[in-house]
Amino acid sequence: MLRLIVTSSTYRQSSRVTPALRQRDPENRMLARGPRFRLQAEFLRDQALAASGLLVPRLGGPSVRPYHPPGLYEQVVAGSSAATYVTGSGEDLRRRSLYTYWKRSVPNPAMLIFDVPFRETCSVRRSRTNTPLQSLNLLNDPTYVEAARFLAERMLREGGETPATRLAHGFRLLLARTPRTDEIGILTAAYERAAREFREDPTAAAALLAVGTVPADAKLDPGQLAAFTTVASILLNLDETVTKE
Amino acid sequence: MPEQSYIRGVTRRQFLGRASIGIGSAALATLIQERARGSAGLDGVPHFAPKARRVIWLTQAGAPSQLDLFDHKPGLKEQFDKDLPESVRNGQRLTGMTAGQNRFPIAPSQFKFEQHGQSGIWLSEILPHMARTADRLCVVRSLFTEAINHDPAMTLLQTGHQIAGRPALGAWLSYGLGSENDNLPAFVVLISRPSGPTNAQPLHERMWGAGFLPSRFQGVRFSPGKDPVLFLSNPPGVSTARRRAMLDDVAALNRLKFEDYQDPEIQARIDQYEMAFRMQAAVPELADLSLEPSTVFDRYGPESQKPGSYAANCILARRLAERGVRFIQLYHRGWDQHGDLPKGIRSQCYDVDQPTVALIEELQERGLLDDTLVVWGGEFGRTVYSQGVLTADNYGRDHHPRCFTMWMAGAGVKPGTVYGETDDFSYNIVKDPVHIHDLNATVLHLLGIDHTRLTYRHQGRDYRLTDVHGEVVRALLA
Repeated sequence: MLRLIVTSSTYRQSSRVTPALRQRDPENRMLARGPRFRLQAEFLRDQALAASGLLVPRLGGPSVRPYHPPGLYEQVVAGSSAATYVTGSGEDLRRRSLYTYWKRSVPNPAMLIFDVPFRETCSVRRSRTNTPLQSLNLLNDPTYVEAARFLAERMLREGGETPATRLAHGFRLLLARTPRTDEIGILTAAYERAAREFREDPTAAAALLAVGTVPADAKLDPGQLAAFTTVASILLNLDETVTKE
Repeated sequence: MPEQSYIRGVTRRQFLGRASIGIGSAALATLIQERARGSAGLDGVPHFAPKARRVIWLTQAGAPSQLDLFDHKPGLKEQFDKDLPESVRNGQRLTGMTAGQNRFPIAPSQFKFEQHGQSGIWLSEILPHMARTADRLCVVRSLFTEAINHDPAMTLLQTGHQIAGRPALGAWLSYGLGSENDNLPAFVVLISRPSGPTNAQPLHERMWGAGFLPSRFQGVRFSPGKDPVLFLSNPPGVSTARRRAMLDDVAALNRLKFEDYQDPEIQARIDQYEMAFRMQAAVPELADLSLEPSTVFDRYGPESQKPGSYAANCILARRLAERGVRFIQLYHRGWDQHGDLPKGIRSQCYDVDQPTVALIEELQERGLLDDTLVVWGGEFGRTVYSQGVLTADNYGRDHHPRCFTMWMAGAGVKPGTVYGETDDFSYNIVKDPVHIHDLNATVLHLLGIDHTRLTYRHQGRDYRLTDVHGEVVRALLA
């Protein structure tokens, strides 16, 4: 049944809306276009880990504790053993979100921000909100800052020799398509400005590259890597990146 | 900037919703121009002219003893260590913590009570500051609940139902009334840490959750420290200017996408990134109490210099109210005095008495008390009989859902009032009972909302905060 649905031409049609289609089926009740909605919390994080090459694909095992802001448990938990969140290390930080430790009184905050239910009662449908807290999470959570750095390293290592080919490679890794000329233009300008600024401010570059637990590749030029990290962060925050089309 | 982007072509439903998928109704930019600041609530809400525009709910988690603070029972002195008459308890099921006790010895409050102000409201000696503001209080001595344990009782208080899964009051308000500030969430939660060693009951994030409402209405917990809002700070090495440049690039790429795909959700995302950027400036400014003069800290007392204290959070609550945040909920834990009540409750009163009153007085001086409702209270009351050993100077009290005291002050409530009456043992209500649903209905009424008409369809039926219950308590209205 699922196979029938996902291989149908209705499911596979483009989610692009034309004015004519919008007029005839504004809410897509007649399935005039393909579905287009924001990825669920788990998929968002997994996608960033996978595209950057950080993801540990191993199956099974006990729950793990990925990055988590400090102090959240202490405010609400009563006494005793589970009053502090102890962030995991190594591979525990990079497993699929499916394996993230779940505490009912303080569920993983980044996932809550992206509409994960509290799991207190059954939920047949998640809401799909679009909030500034989500923007802040994708911009600033060390999960995504570290993933951006790794995506940048992949661009440098695998993306050929010019900024344009490297940016196109990062774009393809996340969005599975080749950037258009106007898109690569914006990315190139963003890269050049960031590269210039980080060249002038090596301390800032070093600070950005130090986010996370896996050290940056020392063979790469820090200014250049920081600039690509910035562009990778831009890519991770695009609407198209966080949206299933 | 936000005005520009709204007017540029967001549909009205998108503007109201910013959330759900597959929306595409006609653009109504005229309406948007009226409400460009903040985000609108539902059409037709408020239902009538509100008295209150915002609420500060000072939630005393753990259940403060009404017998030692508000509900003066002078006759109990003579009943010291006598058994609570069975006719009073009348077969009521007790918690597992005292159900096994052989006796239920009456523990009169150890504290002196006096009448205060023109209104002559009785208050305990451990609330000396509250005494000063007695004439502003609207005290309800006859609240009751069905729940006898903290979690279901708090869940009932917040969501109108003992079982988790329904929206919190603050979420209903941000759903119905929207936000008055474009840079801050409409529903903010502050949790304070008791200064003394106490038995603090756990809270749950879902107590300020949105239940089945879209999750953008859920309360946003502000934490003390570097990031009052989660993930607020830029990573190391990323300056504000760098972030701005980066967001411009994100927006430029998203705009290309919008031109191509015409999905209003893309425009909404561009707006959310802008709001995130504004929050990065607005929230640290808001949370930076160092901007307050030292006279303010003097008023709120010695604890107010400690981030995360009840006193510091009261200052923060005032700053949030000044900035138009709709629902500000403080939680102060540590009221669960099963044993050593006199010592524990003194410590709690030390934490809350002075700052609570300083908050009310500051709101009044700044003209905010006229349209801000302040609510103070816990999730149930405590028993007249002692839990554990009763001595001349020590006792404990178990949970008691049949009666407890809360008070309100400010917008639209009758000041200097006492409502409701309990029996000689503060065990059963003898006059004017007020259920949690009635309290919530009254709070909504003050905000201009008919509690029977603020509904949300979920799983085939219309839900509301008060479920199928609740009567507005008109006697409390000014």
